[in-house]
Amino acid sequence: MANAVIMPRQGQSVESCIIGKWHKQEGDAVKEGDILFTYETDKATFDETAKQDGTLIAVFFEEGDDVPCLMNVCVIGEPGEDVSEFDPRDAQETEEETAVDSPASAAAVTETATAPSQTEAAAVAGAMPDAISPRARNLAEKAGADLRFAQPTGPKGRVIERDVQKLIDEGKLVTQAAGFAHDAAVAGTGIGGRVSVADISGAVAVGADAPAAAIPAAAVTAGPESYVEKHTNIRKVIAKSMHASLSQMAQLTLNSSFDATDIMALRKRLKAAGEKGLTADMGFALAEKVPTLNDIILYAASRVLPKHPGCNAHYDDEKMTIYNRVHMGVAVDTPRGLMVPTVFNSDLMSLSQLSTSVKEVVAGCQQGTISPDLLRGATFTVTNLGTLGIESFTPVINPPQTCILGVCGITTKAREVNGEIKTYPSMGLSLTFDHRAIDGAPAARFLKDLTTVLENFSLLLMQ
Amino acid sequence: MAKQLPVKPEDVRSASWIEFEKIPVNQYQKKPSEETKKFSKDDMLRIYRDMRMIREFENMLYSIKTTNSYNGLEYNNPGPAHLSIGQEAAAVGQAYNLDKNDFIFGSHRSHGEIIAKSLSAIQKLSDQELLDIMEGFLDGVIWKIVEKNNAGKDRSVKEMAIDFLIYGTLAEVFAKNTGFHKGLGGSMHAFFLPFGVYPNNAIVGGSADISVGAALYKKINSKPGIVVCNIGDGSMGCGPVWEGFMMAAMDQFNTLWEGDMKGGLPLVFNIMNNQYAMGGQTRGETMGYEYVARIGAGVNPDQMHAERVDGYNPMAVIDAMDRKMNILREKRGPVLLDTVTYRYAGHSPSDADSYRTTEEKEMWERQDSIQAYRSDLVMAGVASESDFEAIDEFVVNTVTAAVGLAINPEISPRMDLNAAPDAIEKIMFSNQKVAKMEDRPADMLQSKEDNFRVQQIARKTRFAFDEKGKPVSKNKVYQLRDGLFEAIIDKFYEDPTLVAYGEENRDWGGAFAVYRGLTEAVPYHRLFNSPISEGAIVGSAVGYAMSGGRALVELMYCDFLGRAGDEVFNQLPKWQAMSAGILKMPVVVRVSVGSKYGAQHSQDWTSLCAQIPGLKVVFPVTPYDAKGLMTSALNGTDPVLFFESQRIYDIGEQFHEGGVPAESYEVEIGEPDVKRAGSDLTILTIGATLYRALDAAKIFQEQYGISAEVIDARTMVPFNYEKVVESVKKTGKIIVAGDACDRGSYLSDLARNINDLCFDDLDAPAVVLGSRNWITPAFELEDHFFPQADWFVDVYHEKIQPIDGYVAKRSFNDVEIMRRNRLGV
Repeated sequence: MANAVIMPRQGQSVESCIIGKWHKQEGDAVKEGDILFTYETDKATFDETAKQDGTLIAVFFEEGDDVPCLMNVCVIGEPGEDVSEFDPRDAQETEEETAVDSPASAAAVTETATAPSQTEAAAVAGAMPDAISPRARNLAEKAGADLRFAQPTGPKGRVIERDVQKLIDEGKLVTQAAGFAHDAAVAGTGIGGRVSVADISGAVAVGADAPAAAIPAAAVTAGPESYVEKHTNIRKVIAKSMHASLSQMAQLTLNSSFDATDIMALRKRLKAAGEKGLTADMGFALAEKVPTLNDIILYAASRVLPKHPGCNAHYDDEKMTIYNRVHMGVAVDTPRGLMVPTVFNSDLMSLSQLSTSVKEVVAGCQQGTISPDLLRGATFTVTNLGTLGIESFTPVINPPQTCILGVCGITTKAREVNGEIKTYPSMGLSLTFDHRAIDGAPAARFLKDLTTVLENFSLLLMQ
Repeated sequence: MAKQLPVKPEDVRSASWIEFEKIPVNQYQKKPSEETKKFSKDDMLRIYRDMRMIREFENMLYSIKTTNSYNGLEYNNPGPAHLSIGQEAAAVGQAYNLDKNDFIFGSHRSHGEIIAKSLSAIQKLSDQELLDIMEGFLDGVIWKIVEKNNAGKDRSVKEMAIDFLIYGTLAEVFAKNTGFHKGLGGSMHAFFLPFGVYPNNAIVGGSADISVGAALYKKINSKPGIVVCNIGDGSMGCGPVWEGFMMAAMDQFNTLWEGDMKGGLPLVFNIMNNQYAMGGQTRGETMGYEYVARIGAGVNPDQMHAERVDGYNPMAVIDAMDRKMNILREKRGPVLLDTVTYRYAGHSPSDADSYRTTEEKEMWERQDSIQAYRSDLVMAGVASESDFEAIDEFVVNTVTAAVGLAINPEISPRMDLNAAPDAIEKIMFSNQKVAKMEDRPADMLQSKEDNFRVQQIARKTRFAFDEKGKPVSKNKVYQLRDGLFEAIIDKFYEDPTLVAYGEENRDWGGAFAVYRGLTEAVPYHRLFNSPISEGAIVGSAVGYAMSGGRALVELMYCDFLGRAGDEVFNQLPKWQAMSAGILKMPVVVRVSVGSKYGAQHSQDWTSLCAQIPGLKVVFPVTPYDAKGLMTSALNGTDPVLFFESQRIYDIGEQFHEGGVPAESYEVEIGEPDVKRAGSDLTILTIGATLYRALDAAKIFQEQYGISAEVIDARTMVPFNYEKVVESVKKTGKIIVAGDACDRGSYLSDLARNINDLCFDDLDAPAVVLGSRNWITPAFELEDHFFPQADWFVDVYHEKIQPIDGYVAKRSFNDVEIMRRNRLGV
């Protein structure tokens, strides 16, 4: 029996998604679990898998098309079955003057076509409900509940708070829905901040104008002297967040450095121990997986931060929200742009646990499989340009956080010790803080404490 | 009700005739020139100057209204101008002997009276007093403009005071920020308190009952001066004017008020009888009295000392006022004067005079009071033409200078609501705490400790439950009415100006026994029964407060509020702001919301009052809140509509820990109160609906496991939403309930704001649960009309969150909403 595959809605604020790549072509046999296509929101990329065995008998959109959420994308069934009832172009034709020749050319998705998505989708099992109370909607967003599973029990068929609570209790969460892509390939997101409706409608417009632009690698129109690369959604979100951050906050940066002799020696010893065959099983987890300099700084920061509440906080015009736990944002450079996954409760982790967690989230970002839940909620961020030889810089705060720590490269510095000039490895740290939230001296004291801890890091580990 | 005055059948049923005295009609017939013994030449010329000043002022406004220019100065004045050209002699004659301690109140056509009374006050004040007034008024803003304009000129202080008067009045008429009240009163509401000129009133007859209050203030607080109420012949058909007459002429002033307080009110009702009520001709067409003066004979045995006076001869009016002021000094007021006059200009510049002939106007113009006065004095050789020409020149120059200043936008800007968007907002309420309006001992009959009610209350239990949690019996529990009583009697001992009156306030102890015990403690002149005149009850309170006192009046049933419509909606709320914050309005109006008494005695009209800007509206329903809010209301300087519910005068305090304190305390006006904490549903109530909401909360908890938080609004205006928002953030669900009919009610206003403020937190739109849009049926059917405990569950099930297996008894669904509205029920 023929069933349509719809464009899923990944979160309440998402109104449409761009098809990234078709893994199956019309006419291909598919098995349950096969990846049909990948699709991209402004924040991440997901895979859509087949929910049944059969043949891909119709494909309504091609790569690069911006498809309204909940709209039919393709049909799986038996060859020869009638697919006309699933064709979303039927609805579009009445609204659009442009004739659509074939399913493949349904690329011309216009903004008008985004409107009727909910009513159309209502016929499909697991579609978004027609009415959701604001409270239920907020709770779903906060908890990541997948509203497609909601059973409305409110007046007039409205999804109300208790229906969302039920989803949460049953574990029907958006991240899990995304988890259908068990062998997912890519995911991505922008830095912090909520994505506004304006962002989304912008994304729709871009998709309509230049569908291919959604995937940066394919978006290049080469020219002899220059070429144009349209912004991806992630780029736009980054641009907007960065500009908002700089235009709305009172940021300034303090630069400092510390003697990295101790941490370098520590890493050297751990490496040597690893080479000698000391393993985690024997209790030498650090020897088996030697933490990076960045891990060490993250660890030191998550120990120092709780003593500097203003630096581990969120600021808005009304209040400061000061966190008792440190949720460490780690800036990661990915092919899709800057991403900042969060390592939650990093202050409770051992150096080895922290190192492992960081590796995981960084890998998730690189591969695009990172869960959207791990792309928010940080209370402090560390960004590292040290490997690129940067000696000091001005990191940009990820609002509503109050601080961001920039890690710089190691340079050799000289100093006088007992009348002798001696050199030592010096590592730079650049702390940008929001002067609306904290004053210069407390920020400097945080940085001072941090450098002290780092210079005596092996002692800290013994605590 | 006065036990001292037995009503004997042999008196009431005996045969006799009512005899009337003759009512004088224009008995004064002397020419001005025959009064040279009484008036010096200077006096005579000054009378001319004052009349001429009014004529010029009004002609100037007429010229500006009709041609946009005066004396070469161009200006467009879109505001109103009800001119009194032709009525000058009546105004000047009346004001001649009045000084700053005498108050006049006026109508929409009172520019002449303002100018005449102020010129008279200026004449009587010393230069230093005038300078003090001018420099002190509104930080000297007006004075500085006048002073600067006169720099280098040879102008006396009195002359500059005239400039000050004409400019300040004109700037007010032109709605300039430099007007006497920053242009917020305007032409029809201009006044100037330091010269004894009290508000004019754009509501026909509006000043009548207000003046009674001012006269009560003078009498009760032994203040010098009299009160003159200037209203037109058109107002003789207005109910509140008659109410004012009745209240001013109450027998009790002579039969029951004691000592110094015995005797009539120092009040003249002066009817500026210009023959027309807008276009209706009062004599011959719209009234039947023939002479306004006749009305006095119907009011009291003194016939209000009424007479008709020739308002076209200033000497006749001066003579009449002289004689009437003597009557008032002898405490034989009130007085009714029928001052005949005629206006040449129309009701307003848009009046086409279609109701009268040109010949009629010309007949009056031929007898023009100013011309006739001048000719008589010239012919008799009292003064020369050149004397008058000099005055004419002074008058024209004075008015021209004032126009030049008033139309100049730099010297006389409008209120800048861009630069100061809160300029009007700030003066809607005075928000002051003044424990006593005057610092002197309060006149009382006994010490508080000796009062039987005070002693009785002292024996009561001040909380509704005993130590074991059992309800205390009605007879032993401190009731809501006791809370009101304590706050009120405390204030009687504290504020010597406090007066309380209304229907059945003395002896009976108020219809609901709140005042039981006050009769023994408070002398007659501070607590008395009024006639059943709701308009005059509230209107006189407005006048009493405007003059400097504090009034607590009662309307008994909320349903009677309509009878005081103008006073509650137009007078009480407006004067603080229309005076640019100069006047205060410490008036508390007690309004009792009934039940059981059917369609005209069981309505909750709180929403009507909450809709009117300028009123504070409270509705406490626990003894603790009643006492605290009454104390706040009585300590404040703003008008408070104080609603009470007849369902619960006997209820005990169930919420405030430790019961109701014996000492004085305040509950802040504007703060709702959480009466029951809960987590799943918020119920916000107005008035006695609280107790049904609490019953509902019990049903929710016990039968459905739903925890309801119940918040008592306590106040409607102002209202702090913080606690409600906090609660809704927690519960996501809210029912707003009260006993007002739900259409257009304040409940809907609360719901709208909650929807705005809490949209993202709401699981369903805020639900309004009011009474049906019907007449209130009989007591036995009230459960179908007022929200009941089970209605809350029904509406929760139908509009907020269906309860498994529950079947609603009443429908609140969309179809029902549409149906009811389509039918208007």
